[in-house]
Amino acid sequence: MKRSGTLEAGVGAFVLAGLLGLIFLGLQVSGMSFGQTDRNFTLYANFSNIGGLQERSRVTMSGVTVGRVTDISLDPKWLDARVTMQIDSDVGKQLSQDSSAAILTSGLLGEQYIGLTTGGAPEMLKSGDTIRDTQSALVLEHLIQQFVSNMSK
Amino acid sequence: MMSPLIALGRRALDLLEALGRSAIFLVQSLCCLPRLQGFRLWARQMYFVGVLSLPIIVVSGLFIGMVIALQGYLVLSGFGADEALGQMVALSLLRELAPVVSALLFAGRAGSALTAEIGLMKATEQLSSMEMIGVDPLRRVIAPRLWAGFVSMPILTVFFSVIGIMGGYLVGVDWLGVDAGSFWGNMQNSVAFFDDVLNGMAKSVVFGLVVTWIAVFQGYDLVPTSEGISRATTRTVVFGSLAVLGLDFILTAMMFGDF
Amino acid sequence: MADSTLVEVDNLHFLRGERPIFSGVDLAIPKGRITAIMGPSGTGKTTLLKLIAGQLTPDEGRIRVAGEDVHRLSRQALFRMRRRMGMLFQSGALFSDLSVFENVAFPLRVHTELPEQMIRDVVLIKLQAVGLRGARHLMPSELSGGMTRRVALARAVALDPDLIMYDEPFVGQDPISMGVLVTLIRSLNSAFNMTAIIVSHDIKETLSIADHVYVIADGRVMASGSPSSLRDSEDPRVSQFIRGKPDGPVPFHYPSESFADDIFAASETP
Repeated sequence: MKRSGTLEAGVGAFVLAGLLGLIFLGLQVSGMSFGQTDRNFTLYANFSNIGGLQERSRVTMSGVTVGRVTDISLDPKWLDARVTMQIDSDVGKQLSQDSSAAILTSGLLGEQYIGLTTGGAPEMLKSGDTIRDTQSALVLEHLIQQFVSNMSK
Repeated sequence: MMSPLIALGRRALDLLEALGRSAIFLVQSLCCLPRLQGFRLWARQMYFVGVLSLPIIVVSGLFIGMVIALQGYLVLSGFGADEALGQMVALSLLRELAPVVSALLFAGRAGSALTAEIGLMKATEQLSSMEMIGVDPLRRVIAPRLWAGFVSMPILTVFFSVIGIMGGYLVGVDWLGVDAGSFWGNMQNSVAFFDDVLNGMAKSVVFGLVVTWIAVFQGYDLVPTSEGISRATTRTVVFGSLAVLGLDFILTAMMFGDF
Repeated sequence: MADSTLVEVDNLHFLRGERPIFSGVDLAIPKGRITAIMGPSGTGKTTLLKLIAGQLTPDEGRIRVAGEDVHRLSRQALFRMRRRMGMLFQSGALFSDLSVFENVAFPLRVHTELPEQMIRDVVLIKLQAVGLRGARHLMPSELSGGMTRRVALARAVALDPDLIMYDEPFVGQDPISMGVLVTLIRSLNSAFNMTAIIVSHDIKETLSIADHVYVIADGRVMASGSPSSLRDSEDPRVSQFIRGKPDGPVPFHYPSESFADDIFAASETP
């Protein structure tokens, strides 16, 4: 029973190191940070084609991740895709009303994500607003089709 | 003529009976949560089951992370996509390799030791004499070991992932020259804490429970002879590993498959 | 007489697999006495003790300890009853990860709320009684066979049980430790008025301390009585056992077909 003190200390260190490891996985590997938990600025955007965009895809501004896509559904009125995204409220507050959203592709075959670009209008977007100016995904098949039909002309 | 049929039927009944016995055994061991005194017993088992498994987990994690980085680099650099290396290392470790490989190592290292220890206690009548003293061995001997296995498995998996990612970084960035920023950046963009990290943890909790359950049940249920102990130890490793691999498929389908 | 009976075994039947171990055993163990249960090896004497302790369940019949049917008790009640029983296992069955002191203290720690000082005193008294107070810091792996059994005895009586069961206490002991054990069993019985059941096939030692003896063979009670009446018994089976003759009514050979048939059949089957 004399050794049980060091034994319990060993177990304590083991559990503690495990928790630290989990924090490492959270911060360094999955890129969570305490400041970014405040992603409650909701924006909507309608696209005629979302290509390979998925829930949880990134929303970026100038290449920096500022939010995530939280929902994708078919708008029953316009029959196009309605994308819901949650972005940092600090960023959201500074987006003008004529901001645009485009679906971009990282690399030639990489994942698809949304890129936001702010415009010049003096009025700012509010949480829950819809972005009007959108640019749909580039679908490779369509591109090739256009290319081929241009060639044959 | 009938005898193969009879033999098959008998085996099936034996198997069902063993499954039923082990289920009753699990419920009886876990139903009564250990009290304060049980905490010390649990801590003691955490040491034997968890802390002593650490070296093999750390070393394996390091090498597996290094190998993935090496193989991944060879494939990815063919597409000019070597900055996706971090993403590949992290996802394959977090989702699959860390839970599965550490559970397999755990079955070999801690599972077999548990079976042999409990089997020896049974063979030397220690369990019987504990019963005669009026102490339920299920609570005193089995329950702390089950809880210890259950808790230490996810912790070991965290160690495996962290060390594996470090190993991947070592090979990918320090040796092969992938850019450190894109290594971490790609990883952070593609790994989701809840979907990838916590699902991997959930897997390892299930594996920990199943492997420890198999190990202590094999020890408790064995024929108390030296041959019985060696057979039960082998069975723990074989059944434990098969259960981990089978369950991994099912859990992966449930967690990451879109049905 | 009925109220001075501690353990009552009634028409006990027990099968191990297909093989009957007991077919209709009746026993009455009187309170405060030493009762010996004897018989050739393999007659299930240890099984009988495990049945009394409720570790095994009989296929038929009833076992009552202090008026309570052992196999009708709930798991909790059974464990409560076992606190009043002590059992000395053949191997000693000390907990190999605890020291001698902690082994003896184990029942006290789990069943009583005694302060540490008092536990220490009780443990030292029990160890003193078996003559191993000086060995309290040793681990079980450092003890000889005889010492192991004495420590186990100290542990079995740590809670001052009403009933203590000895499973083959004399097997594999040198004459000196055998003598020590005989003296210990007798003095424990007389000093604390404990009821004792001894299962053994060491005739000389057992007959020297038992008040009453049952001889079991072929799944039933073959003879019973005081040690002296058994020594003088005319029954050929009893006298064969008591005097240790190699062959007699209890056969030397395991049941088989005739030797001549077996020899000539050797060319066909192994």
